[in-house]
Amino acid sequence: MNTLIHCDNLNKRFGSKTALANVSFSLQQGDVAALIGPNGAGKTTLFSILCGYLRADTGSVSLLGHKPGSTALCGRLAALPQDAQFDPAFSIGEQLDFYGRLQGLSQKAARLETDRVLALVELGAQRKQKAAALSHGMRKRAAIAQAFIGSPQLVLLDEPTAGLDPAHALQIRQLISQLSGQLGSQVSFMISSHNIFELEQLCNKVLYLQQGQLSSPADHKDSDGAEQYLTLLLEQEADQPLLTMLQQLPGLISVRPGQKHQLLLSYNALQQPQFDLELLQCLAAHGYRYRNLIKGQTLEQKLFSVS
Amino acid sequence: MPHLVTLLKHTGLYAGFELRRLWHTRSGLMTLAATLVIWGLLFRYAIVPAADLIASRGFTDFISGLFGNNGISQLRSWPAPELAVYWFFSLWLLPLLSLFFTANQLCPDIERGTVRFLTLRSSRSSLVLGRFGGQLVVQGCLILLTLLATLALASWRAGGITPAMLSAALVIWLNLLLVVAPFTAIMALFSALVRSAKLAVSLAIVSLGLGFALLSWFIFYFPDFLFLFSYIPGAQVIQLLPLHGWQTFKLAALPLAQTALLLGLACLLLKRKAL
Repeated sequence: MNTLIHCDNLNKRFGSKTALANVSFSLQQGDVAALIGPNGAGKTTLFSILCGYLRADTGSVSLLGHKPGSTALCGRLAALPQDAQFDPAFSIGEQLDFYGRLQGLSQKAARLETDRVLALVELGAQRKQKAAALSHGMRKRAAIAQAFIGSPQLVLLDEPTAGLDPAHALQIRQLISQLSGQLGSQVSFMISSHNIFELEQLCNKVLYLQQGQLSSPADHKDSDGAEQYLTLLLEQEADQPLLTMLQQLPGLISVRPGQKHQLLLSYNALQQPQFDLELLQCLAAHGYRYRNLIKGQTLEQKLFSVS
Repeated sequence: MPHLVTLLKHTGLYAGFELRRLWHTRSGLMTLAATLVIWGLLFRYAIVPAADLIASRGFTDFISGLFGNNGISQLRSWPAPELAVYWFFSLWLLPLLSLFFTANQLCPDIERGTVRFLTLRSSRSSLVLGRFGGQLVVQGCLILLTLLATLALASWRAGGITPAMLSAALVIWLNLLLVVAPFTAIMALFSALVRSAKLAVSLAIVSLGLGFALLSWFIFYFPDFLFLFSYIPGAQVIQLLPLHGWQTFKLAALPLAQTALLLGLACLLLKRKAL
């Protein structure tokens, strides 16, 4: 497998504030990595270093075998930078055409490519509009469209669905999912977002940044061999009789209440491999209705130990 | 070598896009309108009555005061008085206009974040060189427009256009590009340094003014260094005024070297800048 991103001991400080501290990770071809962290954790700083907008104080970064900002990455690395705006003097279409030309496309090919990427984000009709005439969400979608011009191998998206309405956020998620899931897909993504539900759907790798330090939920694995997790969402509040019944299920290690109507159960899979079926039968036998049953913990539970 | 080809290609694309900005955008058309107003006034009050102006006592006294009688005779050596007057005024006016018209080469894009889209697709050097090249082409177009109008006026008065007039117009056009080049490069540097075009203009005026004042003070105490005055941007303007024809190009090396140095600094600055 090809390593697309390799970061080794990255450090970045702004004055007395440490933005990144000894950040090291690798991203392989075909990966869809999530970058999660609270505000001010250093996500945008890391993105900016990867895109070549900022220099790390110490440490090394390699993208597709090149240093960030190298001209060899032009057209191979695409990004949705946070808060970057289009030139208000030109239409969106003119600017995307120009970006295509910079990526080496002919005038005609650049125009066709602009049509294609604008259609991907449902902005085909806005080709001749200037950025000022578009809503915030439309501008965001146009900025996402520029990241899909040509055939990038690595796409870095900084909060791609922030500020989008639910329908278009779903559309963007589907687009990323479709591009990364295509058979033999050469496109890898790294996505920063506060929407854990979104990242859980899209990503196969999670990087958790907190106060500039990176940790991976590999530290919070779903299982350590025998112990497995189930996340159960009930239709009603779990009452004491139900909790008592569940605690009597063979193989159960623990049961903890989660968010509203949610229970997190851990069990010994070696002792009781059919625990999920036992659980459903128990619920049905006592008239408890459930909304969904997830094998494993949610990303939110893994990262923040939500209980 | 492939890097150089890509650099040149991207530089050309940026320059072409700047030219589109002049003709296809509101801000470009405003620049065009401002140029027309300024040159309209010059045409009305200086270039149309050029023959009378050159013959007038006040103007000849002014030129004699600056360059001696040789200056007057050289100015009269241009094939048409309109071209001589155009040459005289544009040499003084264009460096200043250049500071104002080219102040937004990089800063609006840096401030808005547009430069982040651009630097994913091209090197920062090609952005600096392309924007500079674009501004030079735009100024070349504006100069050409006013020069053609002057030429039309001269040919109308003289009853036809002569090869000498065309040759003189070409000399003037090329020289004026050389004159504005270092000032455009100064604005490339300052627009990479600050957040707005207004700040870039202020910084340019203050730096040039302060630089001149400090140099004057230094030379007052160390007169042996008087030669340093000939290295400041625009220094060749004074020397160009009393010249005419192709002899003017003997002063071309200095603005070219200044431009190259300033663009090198601008590239270096943008390369090191956090975007």
